[in-house]
Amino acid sequence: MEKCILEMSGICKSFFGVQILKDVELQVMPGEVHVLLGENGAGKSTLIKVLSGAYRKEEGCIVLDGEELCCDCPKEIIGKGISVIYQEFNLNPYVSIYENILMGKEIANKGIINTAKSIEFAKKYLDLIGLDVDPCTLVSELSVAQKQMVEIAKAISCDVKLLVLDEPTAAITDKETEKLFEIIRNLKKKGIGIIYISHRMSELFEIGDRCTVLRDGEYVTTVDLDKTDVDELTKLMVGRNVSFERVENNYIDDSTKVLEVKNVDYKDILKDVSIELKKGEILGLSGLVGAGRTELAKCIVGAYKKTNGEVYLNGEKLKGKDVKESIDKGIVYLSEDRKDEGLILIHTLTDNIALPNLEKFGNPVLDINKMVEVSKDYISKLKIKTSSHLAEMKNLSGGNQQKVVIAKWLHSDASVYIFDEPTRGIDVGARDEIYNIMLDLVKNGASILMISSDLVEIQKMCNRIVVLKDGRVTANLQNTDDLTQEKILHYALTGGEQGE
Amino acid sequence: MNSIKEKLKKFDVKSLTLYIGAVLILIIFTVICSINGKDFLTTSNIQNIISQSAVIAVIGIGASLVIITGGIDLSVGSVVGFVGIFAGVLVKAGVPLFATLLICLAVGALVGAINGALVSYGKVPAFIVTLGTMQIVRGLTKVLTDGRPIAGFPESLAKITQTEILGIPVVILYVFALYALVMFTLKKTKFGRRIYAIGGNPNAAKLSGIKVQKIETLTYVIAGIFSVIGGIILLSRLSYADPNAGSSYELDAIAATVIGGIAMSGGKGKIGNTLVGALILGMLKCGLQILNVAVYYQTIITGLVIIVAVYLDKAKERKAE
Repeated sequence: MEKCILEMSGICKSFFGVQILKDVELQVMPGEVHVLLGENGAGKSTLIKVLSGAYRKEEGCIVLDGEELCCDCPKEIIGKGISVIYQEFNLNPYVSIYENILMGKEIANKGIINTAKSIEFAKKYLDLIGLDVDPCTLVSELSVAQKQMVEIAKAISCDVKLLVLDEPTAAITDKETEKLFEIIRNLKKKGIGIIYISHRMSELFEIGDRCTVLRDGEYVTTVDLDKTDVDELTKLMVGRNVSFERVENNYIDDSTKVLEVKNVDYKDILKDVSIELKKGEILGLSGLVGAGRTELAKCIVGAYKKTNGEVYLNGEKLKGKDVKESIDKGIVYLSEDRKDEGLILIHTLTDNIALPNLEKFGNPVLDINKMVEVSKDYISKLKIKTSSHLAEMKNLSGGNQQKVVIAKWLHSDASVYIFDEPTRGIDVGARDEIYNIMLDLVKNGASILMISSDLVEIQKMCNRIVVLKDGRVTANLQNTDDLTQEKILHYALTGGEQGE
Repeated sequence: MNSIKEKLKKFDVKSLTLYIGAVLILIIFTVICSINGKDFLTTSNIQNIISQSAVIAVIGIGASLVIITGGIDLSVGSVVGFVGIFAGVLVKAGVPLFATLLICLAVGALVGAINGALVSYGKVPAFIVTLGTMQIVRGLTKVLTDGRPIAGFPESLAKITQTEILGIPVVILYVFALYALVMFTLKKTKFGRRIYAIGGNPNAAKLSGIKVQKIETLTYVIAGIFSVIGGIILLSRLSYADPNAGSSYELDAIAATVIGGIAMSGGKGKIGNTLVGALILGMLKCGLQILNVAVYYQTIITGLVIIVAVYLDKAKERKAE
């Protein structure tokens, strides 16, 4: 048997006590395009970050070309011949192509850069991948596809043995994709191993040789791509055939529409999106990363200015100019990004809970004692684990931070709550507590729009599921017993055009 | 037991370091002065320090507010200079003093509004915007009188600061009153909470329904108004308007802010400590003058104190890493 160029085995990694990777393995042959497949949150990016040294693995072993990698420093790992090309490029847009390619390994004589030699060096690699652009061009002037090619040229100029491409076709056209595949095939011939991450099923079969599937941070299997099909892969990704308890929701009032979103466009991200939410309903919003779910939520609450369309709350049209209007009218958004959008990490728990509700604490003079009282109340009600109500948010764990995000919006007494990935990075126990809070809300007459990549929780919690793909609604499904995860995923991946 | 624990938690170690530092500087000067046969801790010296620190303390309020939002305002010193000359021109043209001062306050607010609008709506970095207005305002000041100073202000101007109440110079009362007002606003009003939120995380603030741009602009307007108040205090003390007055005061105001422990990255810090920062700077200046240390050495020592203060302030963060 041929020798692997990369062998990862028994990789474990956890954050804040939540295990993200459990005993994951991955083997890549020289000259192989190895696809890494899994749902959002399955652990693909984490695995790649462990490989690149950006994250420190807790257990496991990485062998590159017969030599075990024990270093955790990204720079050293690049030196060993592993190169990762992320969706956001690591290029300096303000300098030329050749300077980017030679960054960190400048061709110089006594500290003085030899420009002619540098350009010649860069040209050699640009020719190799067929990018016909003057090496002196500024990177900022290049298209996305060209930037990607510069990244690849930069990678192979370092004697790369293993190249990782993270969603390389997400932002480029079909024609450019063809060119990219040509480059990949050339790299294969040189014996370079390639790890390829993508959600686009069709292209996996076109470019990939083998495929490793991850699910919930665990290794599922590795299959030859010419011996399988989309359906089987989908099944492998979703995995659990086990049925789980769907939560009974008896609080829906079918006759009352609380939220109506009509024909919303946003830039070229959302196209003609219409959804309805009934009183007491939990509506799931499903779709892949980049399908426009978060953008839709932000358009609804006025954080983004929609290009077209209308939003009605209890029959009243919202102007959609700012978030304040939505909060006053009773519709709130709980961001998926706790650290960047949900909380002020350097401020205390009490301050964070009070922030959107300052009007409730007295005008013009705030009643600090009342703020403390309210936050202590939420600490006990939501079982938030914290040293005190004055603890800074950065010192709380992810699940407890999420509970504070919920607390701050519970106190605003809204009629519609938009939960964006409410359980991301949260352990099982805290998840159930968050589900219970959601059920309490609908019991008390509120309605919920729940964005989630976790199909299990979507099926568990929601009455109805709307699926988005590339900014369009591709399905509006009742969550009945015969609804399968495969079906939801099918609409999210293909838009429902094929099969069925 | 629990309440003691809670009180201990509330206890602010950072502020304590600052107060100890201030007292230490006081003691050092007292000792060195007495060795040299001079008195440092006299009533007149203390009053002197506070009155001299008053201008920096007052414009420091504006500088601190802007820094708490995550911005910076370099134009405050130029506004101080502008106020003197502009008030002089108005008074000479026969405008009553009270109206003159009101007009000055309005002009300060206008400069602040321009700064704030460019920063928050125009998305130009605060450093650049206020670097620009700093130069423009200073230039306008010199244009007004061809660079000449103005003297001969009405006596009522001097009275604004040069009276005493119960033996305390009234300017000291102004400073404390302004600080009390601002401390209260920051702690106990929506506006105060919101400027901390904007500095702490503008995205989260926006999604919490805060009109970030409006509040940010308002903060620069307030900074402009406090610069004018500082300018009026200076003018009243000197009764003489110099077009170069207030030069580099913006740096002193920022120094007072950072010595006081307000984070340049925004969102954190106590405005009351800016007053302590201003007093430390004032003490250094006065003390070194009393000891006849040459001006050049004074600036070196001031520079060292700024760095040491912030170095000590960051001790906890270094430990965390």
